[in-house]
Amino acid sequence: MIRLTVTAAAAVFLAGCASFSTDGGFDRVSELTKERTGQAPAYQRSAEDTENARARVDELLKQPLTAESAVEVAFLNNRGLQANLHSLGIAESELVRAGRLANPLFSFGRLREGGGVVEIERSVMFNVLGMLTMPVARQVEQRRFEETQFQAAGDAVGVAVEARRAFYSAVAAQDLVKFLQQVKEAADVSNELAKRMVQAGNFNKLAQMREQAFYADATSELARAQHQAVAERERLARALGLWGQQLNVMLPERLPDLPKTLVEPKNAEQTAMEKRLDVLAARRSAESTARSLGLTKTTRFINVLEIGYQNKSVSGEPRANGYEVELELPLFDFGSTRLARAEATYMQAVHRTAEVAVNARSQVRESYSAYRTAYDLAKHYRDEVIPLRKRISEENLLRYNGMLIGVFELLADSREQVRSVSSYVQALRDFWIADTTLNTALTGRSPGAAAASGPSPGAAAPAAAAH
Amino acid sequence: MSNRRNFFKTAGAVALGATAVSRVGAASLPEAVIQTSPTMQPPLIPNTGRPYNPVATLNGWSLPWRMNNGVKEFHLVAEPVVREFAPGMKANLWGYNGSSPGPTIEAVEGDRVRIFLTNKLPEHTTVHWHGIQLPSGMDGVGGMTQPHIPPGKTFVYEYTLLRSGTHMYHPHADEMVQMAMGMMGMFIIHPKDQRQMRVDRDFVFLLAAYDIEPGSATPRTAEMTDFNLWTFNSRTFPGIDPIVARAGDRVRVRVGNLTMTNHPIHMHGPHFTVTGTDGGWIPPAARWPEVTTDVAVGQMRAFEFDAVAGDWAIHCHKSHHTMGPMGHAVENMIGVDHRGVAERITKLVPDYMAMGDKGMADMGAMEMPIPDNTLPMMTGQGPFGPMEMGGMFTAVKVRDDLKRGDYKDPGWYKHPQGTVAYEYAGELTQPSRAPGATATPSRDTMTMNVRKPTAHTGH
Repeated sequence: MIRLTVTAAAAVFLAGCASFSTDGGFDRVSELTKERTGQAPAYQRSAEDTENARARVDELLKQPLTAESAVEVAFLNNRGLQANLHSLGIAESELVRAGRLANPLFSFGRLREGGGVVEIERSVMFNVLGMLTMPVARQVEQRRFEETQFQAAGDAVGVAVEARRAFYSAVAAQDLVKFLQQVKEAADVSNELAKRMVQAGNFNKLAQMREQAFYADATSELARAQHQAVAERERLARALGLWGQQLNVMLPERLPDLPKTLVEPKNAEQTAMEKRLDVLAARRSAESTARSLGLTKTTRFINVLEIGYQNKSVSGEPRANGYEVELELPLFDFGSTRLARAEATYMQAVHRTAEVAVNARSQVRESYSAYRTAYDLAKHYRDEVIPLRKRISEENLLRYNGMLIGVFELLADSREQVRSVSSYVQALRDFWIADTTLNTALTGRSPGAAAASGPSPGAAAPAAAAH
Repeated sequence: MSNRRNFFKTAGAVALGATAVSRVGAASLPEAVIQTSPTMQPPLIPNTGRPYNPVATLNGWSLPWRMNNGVKEFHLVAEPVVREFAPGMKANLWGYNGSSPGPTIEAVEGDRVRIFLTNKLPEHTTVHWHGIQLPSGMDGVGGMTQPHIPPGKTFVYEYTLLRSGTHMYHPHADEMVQMAMGMMGMFIIHPKDQRQMRVDRDFVFLLAAYDIEPGSATPRTAEMTDFNLWTFNSRTFPGIDPIVARAGDRVRVRVGNLTMTNHPIHMHGPHFTVTGTDGGWIPPAARWPEVTTDVAVGQMRAFEFDAVAGDWAIHCHKSHHTMGPMGHAVENMIGVDHRGVAERITKLVPDYMAMGDKGMADMGAMEMPIPDNTLPMMTGQGPFGPMEMGGMFTAVKVRDDLKRGDYKDPGWYKHPQGTVAYEYAGELTQPSRAPGATATPSRDTMTMNVRKPTAHTGH
């Protein structure tokens, strides 16, 4: 009886420990995210939070967007992120539940025996095993909760990444429209001049139609580019959770210039192992399954151990007090199925963790290569291709001055020059996306499918032609 | 004049290492005189050998010689040269003794000549003496009548000049390339009797065509027809010396054609008489009075006239041959309405300027930057405005008061009062027409839009 009281007291004590935190585990998520994206997401749990976020978003959207403000807006405004963050609350409730004793079972039985005799049986049963394994179970749930925190931070990083990518793509697409308008203008002037050549009797229809064909092509290219700009803007709207008035978001005219220096990550793979949220989450997951495997091993023979107080009163007889121990005997199942499952689950977690780690290292190497290549390409366009094209145009103008070439060749050249500038814009966009991808691969999570959908540097030129 | 004694010292030193024969040969070589200036040198008055009346080579010079036991010895050096086609453009050519064309060789009927040819080209060469009667083995056809002259070697040609006339020399080894690179020169054989065919001034030049991509300097030797530089002595107008004479002078012009097309050489002003062909002097009864003489490919013509005061154009009458480099695929913009379009092009190409919609005369007046090392399509400022000429064009400048032997450009002609075309200042009244005639012809369906400049359309 004394022992029982102690046990019950311990249970109450433990239950008291396992209460909800004030931040709901969000501070850690916020810290992890800020470390990786430079900004902390907002966890909106009340109407007031939402209202504040809304006000801040409105303020941010008064200025032309930058990559940073895009991330901030996404953190404040992306509903998917808020939904994900609420998984924290779900995980925490699990954690708290694990720290509380299962509710005692109360049973009451009333039997009417013959001759007006009534037998009443009362018992209170406690799950002792649950109480004994509670500290371990709590640790398991703690790990699970941490895993959820990493996942939540990972989700936030993902939202930031998508916000950046969408921002760069939208700015570039908008800029490309401008260049393709120039291409179209050059084709249009050629076409107009060709028509006047026909009127003056200096061109035949074939020559004129060739110019018209250029113009027709340029028109369709521009239409595609305009749609692309709309699509990229909508992608940005989704990433930033924009709707209604917010859709008037202003984009800057141009992408940011290439940075002067290149990031040279030292021990890139090591950094990924230490910082990457998916690696950390996988590790926590493996740890918690390891714990639960240990737990399963120690309790494999016992399924249920319940202790309870029982009293029985039968009419006309003195009340009988006593206790009841219920132990399920593992006659048919020595817990081997549970153990096998736990072991398999553990090994699964181990291999998952290893896989995540191997992939993370590979992704770091790949995204570094993409980053380097994109930088070199953009620099090549900026320092070689564009100046060269400009000099070619200058030479062509000199040749036009000397009547060595005609105005149509001059206009064709100006179209080519504009195209080289748009190739540069594409290369610059690819660089900024690669920069984002590399940061993600280093400290965030798998750059994932979003990276694959991003334009690869090599695909820039053909993509330009197809625009 | 400069020379390159040093080069021959070096050549001699190299030869010294070889055989005794070549050492003697090297010691006995006449000096090779080098001239790199494109300005016309005064005619070379003979101070040894038989006397003759020397010629003046437009933008060129005559090769000095030495007499060696009664033989006239010349020394030609075949070598890469840089030739200025006109101020602003230089070309990498192959030539002789520092210039392309090479120096004019002058000798006299009956002279025995010994011509040394040192090959400083990167490939073998020979010299063919075009139109000169000589022993077959001296005719200079590589592989056929003589071994090729390897780089660094000196060969000797020796023969007696049988007949006076106008001749040329050029390689007959890889000749397509070597002639396209500018290897050619004039060879004038004067009559033994100075009184025969005597003139007061005797000018010579060779016609050559080059294809040098604007901005580059070396001719495209594979070109057959689409040349862009048409030259007198590898010079184009306004880089061609004028033919200067005193009024009343008897003037002879000798033209050789080493291009791949014929050139109708046309002279304004006095009529001339064709007095010489490749075959020699034309008997007076057979001479043709002309104002244009067509000089076919590989031919020579000599014509003579009595100079009349004034500035008289002399040029190839193929109009593209009196142009500088031009794009042969450039669209004709004449009559094309540029309104609105020019402004839009300027937005795309800021320094753009509409040209050619009223013809190409703009080109003669405008001085817009053009590629490096090329020449404007039309150029040359005359006393009355742009001359809109280039290529095979120069002037015969005849003055009343020139000294004998004065070949300097006398500047533009000062026309006597009332001898220059002038603007009609009277009233522009309707001409009287025959009854029933209409002022403008009716348009038929084939009539295109005729844009007359008097109807201004806002340009």
